[in-house]
Formats: sequence, structure tokens, C-alpha cells
Amino acid sequence: MTSSENSNVILEADKIHAWFGSHEAVKGVSLSAVMGTVTALIGPSGCGKSTFIRTLNRLHEEIPHTRVEGQVILEGKNIYERGVDPVGVRRKIGMVFQKPNPFPSMSIFENVAAGLRLAGISKRSLLAEVVEQSLKQAALFEEVKDKLKAPGTSLSGGQQQRLCIARALAVKPPVLLMDEPTSALDPISTAKIEELVMELKKDVTVVMVTHNMQQAARISDKTAFFLMGELIEWGDTSQVFTTPKVEKTEQYITGRFG
Amino acid sequence: MSTLWQKDIHRGDRLFQFVLRACAIAAMVLLLFMVVNLGYRSWPAFKVFGLKFFVSSDWDPVNDQFGVVSFVYGTLVSSALALLIAVPVSVGSALCLTELAPRRISAVLGFLIEMLAAIPSVVYGLWGIFVLAPLMRETVQPFLGKYLGWIPLFSGPAYGVGMLTAGILLAIMIIPTILSISREVFFAIPRAQREAALALGATRFETLWIAVVKSSVSGLFGASVLGLARAFGETMAVTMVIGNRAEVAVSLFAPGQTMASVIANEYAEATTDIHLAALGAVGVTLFLVSWLINSTARAIVSRSERRGGAGGR
Repeated sequence: MTSSENSNVILEADKIHAWFGSHEAVKGVSLSAVMGTVTALIGPSGCGKSTFIRTLNRLHEEIPHTRVEGQVILEGKNIYERGVDPVGVRRKIGMVFQKPNPFPSMSIFENVAAGLRLAGISKRSLLAEVVEQSLKQAALFEEVKDKLKAPGTSLSGGQQQRLCIARALAVKPPVLLMDEPTSALDPISTAKIEELVMELKKDVTVVMVTHNMQQAARISDKTAFFLMGELIEWGDTSQVFTTPKVEKTEQYITGRFG
Repeated sequence: MSTLWQKDIHRGDRLFQFVLRACAIAAMVLLLFMVVNLGYRSWPAFKVFGLKFFVSSDWDPVNDQFGVVSFVYGTLVSSALALLIAVPVSVGSALCLTELAPRRISAVLGFLIEMLAAIPSVVYGLWGIFVLAPLMRETVQPFLGKYLGWIPLFSGPAYGVGMLTAGILLAIMIIPTILSISREVFFAIPRAQREAALALGATRFETLWIAVVKSSVSGLFGASVLGLARAFGETMAVTMVIGNRAEVAVSLFAPGQTMASVIANEYAEATTDIHLAALGAVGVTLFLVSWLINSTARAIVSRSERRGGAGGR
């Protein structure tokens, strides 16, 4: 990594370990994300990539009997430092999940506004402005502009996922985590989300877990390959996919296991 | 052609279907029979009093005067009181059990609470007479009278037995019902939804509110309706602590009577035919009121579900 890139590192994980009870799911992973890039985390099921991404916004610790060790530096500050409020961390790091999970009790509008309301913003005009902007950013506005009051769950799966992206973007987080955001979607919705992610990286740094290697190759700038809780290889996507340095990576990419 | 095509391989299916259909029909016939029988027994009363039966609060077996209003009032007020107390307690404890308490403690407590539902109502009634009523007479009612006595609801002498005592006892009896259903409703909410709120920067309390409680409204409503139905029909325990006086009193300290309790109280002692018929007519009224409340509740639930407040599944 060159020094000019280094100064643009926005999120840096340093020797992250994560446990479920006594099972160590992530074993000392260090990884950093440069501002305005998409980083893809790939690897077979159970390799710890999802657990790892959930340590980046301190969501892992919400599951009972779990533990995290190591540091995550967000904009120069360690989010695991004593006295840091995880709630504050999560407001700066958005997250989109595997299955679309809009709040079923809320309208499309309220879903997008939810994060702003949590942040204490209640001025109607401001909310309306940000909701529209976020829906546009998530390429959903044209499809829902006439039914903002309809329940979020009335949309199709792909639309719901873009609604969740809009919801995450509304609070303008510098980093967006995506945990297999297209694995529950059909190919057309998947293509739309991929397009969207490439568009979004102007404004937000994306770290994305994916099961789909073609997806990683298509949309990411950096790719990290996980296996059995360890980071095996990490580098520019083109390099990882064309000239992997580690044999395991090559075997996985060429489909010999996983 | 093999024998496979000739043999009737669907015979088991058809038998099963027949049995299920018979069960369903039996349930309907039973209901129909109840309605017919109740109508037949109460008919003499309706013939004499007509619609006046539903608007008069005059219940005087000695002079053959019968009107149902004070019992409807008693049923509605005691059940409403019970709901008012039981719903917040049940929903609060259900939240605590599902969201805050460690799994093991939650399982034990949940089991104990469900055991409460298995206690016979006469036992609740005895507890009401020997523990709750004296407590109400000596401590709670004088206290309420002293500080809130200016509100008509809390005025008048402290008898111990009465509407408020019945309401509290009923609340205790319906808490297990509402609590265990609320617990199921909360359990059914996917983890993903709580994580959606957490990832958005919600505190624990905010997560409970936006991801759990708000998406459970119709389920909680259903739980409350079931609790209400139980309070409506509850007979023995209420009869033992409500005071059994047929009147409409504003004060919650005053004795009252419910539809179920008047039937239990007077049926064995009713000597005249018109008295028996009038008690039958009280039964008809109870039937109608329960049906009305239940169908209204259903309508509200389905309307709120159409608006998108479904159970969060």
C-alpha cells in the first residue's frame, strides 16, 4: 500500500479476535479500508467473514456470551476503547443485512427517517428532505415517491433491500457495512444493488461480505479472503483474482473447494 | 396396468377428512344448540319485559322486576379495570422475560407464571376474601379515599369487597393469559429486526420500542382480547369478592354484580319461572356482549394489519 493511500484509511481493524462462547470465530484479523472504496470479504460458509464485519460496528457483542479483542480505528479513534459508547459508533457506521429488514410497523418514509429520529431530528421539513435524498441515493425514489406512506414491508424484496440501504444512508455514515446484501434477492434486484454500490462509493466507504465471487470481482476495489477465521490474503481485487499469492486463495477462487 | 391404479390409495385421506369435518360440525352444532337452548329458556322473560330488559337496572326478584343494566355495567367495569391493570403488567413482564432476563431465569419464571393459570378460580376467590378484601378495606381504600376521595370513583365507605377488589382479582387472574401470549408475540420477532434498530444506533430501550413493541401491537391487542374474554366469563372468584348488589354505583369501592356472578348466585335459589327465565336472559345478554366485544376487537386487529402493523413476521 502506498503512503498516499495510507493517509486515506478511514477504517482499520487491528488484530481482531471474536468469540462465541469458547469458539473463536475470528482469529486475529487486521484489515483496513480506504475512503471511497469497496472492500469485499469472501470465503466459504463459516469462515468468520460475517462475524468479522459485525465487530466493525460493535454488533457482535450484542449476542449473549460473545467477546471481542483487538482494535478498530474509525477516523483515527479506537471504537473499542474504554468509555466509547457503541450506540454512537453505530450511528457512524451503517449496516445492511442479508435479509431485508425494514421495520414492519413503519411506512416507507418512517423507515428511512428512523435513524434521524433516533438522532433527535424531528423537524418535518428536514426529515422530508433527507428522506427524499436518501431514497434517491438508494435508487428507490422514483419507484416509491407516490406511496411514501405505504408500509415498508409492502415493497418487493429488492426494493426492501434498497429501502434498508436508504435507511442506513440517511444518517450519512462515513462507512457502510453490507452483510451479503444480495443473497436473498433475484438476479435483477442483485444487479441493481451492485450498480448502486458502485455508485455509492463516491460518498461512503463500503465493506461488504459476499458469497458470490463474481460479485466481488465485479464491484470491489479490494478483496479479502477468509478461511477458518483467518485472513488468508488481502489486496487489490484484480490481483487477488488473477495472481493470488497464496495457494489456498487460488484453490478457492478456481472453485476447488468452498 | 398394475394393481396400484386399481387400489383406492386415498382411502386414508378420505377417512381423515371425514373425521375432521365431523369435529368441525360438532363444534358448530354445539354452539347452535347453546343459542337455541338459551333462547328457549329466556323467552318468557323477553315476552314479559321486551327490550325494557336491556335498558332497566331494576332487578327485584321479590316483585318480579328484572333488568340487566347493572350487571352489564358490573361486567364491563370490572373487566375494564382488570385490563387496565393487567395489560401494562403483563406486557412489561413479557418484555423483561424475553428481552432482558437471562434465558434460564426467563424459562423458570415463564413456567411459574403459566402455572398461575392452572389455579382454580375458587382458590383465587378464597384468597380474595381472606387476604385481598381485608387489605383493601384497611389499607388501600382508606388511602385512596384520603388522597383521591374528591374523585367520585374513589368516594364512599370502604367495604373491602366491591368493584375495585373484583377488578384487581380479575387482573391477577388474566395476567398469565396476556403475559404468555405477549411472550410468544415477542419471541416471534426475528433477531434481524432488533439488529436493524441496533445497527441504526438505537439504544437498548429504543430498540425494544421501535423493533419489538411497535411491531407487536396487533399481537398484543389479541392477547388483551383473550384476557378480556376470560375476565368476562369469570364467575366464581368475582362472585366471592364483588359484593353482589344489583346497582350502578359510580364509586369503585361500592359493591356491584356481574352477569356471570348473578347467574351463579341466584340460579340455585330462583323459585319462580320468571326469575329463572330472567337469569337465562342475563345469559343471552352476556353472550351478546361478549360477541359484540370480540367482533369489534377482530375488526380493529384486521384493520390495523391492513395498515401494515402486522405481527412482525
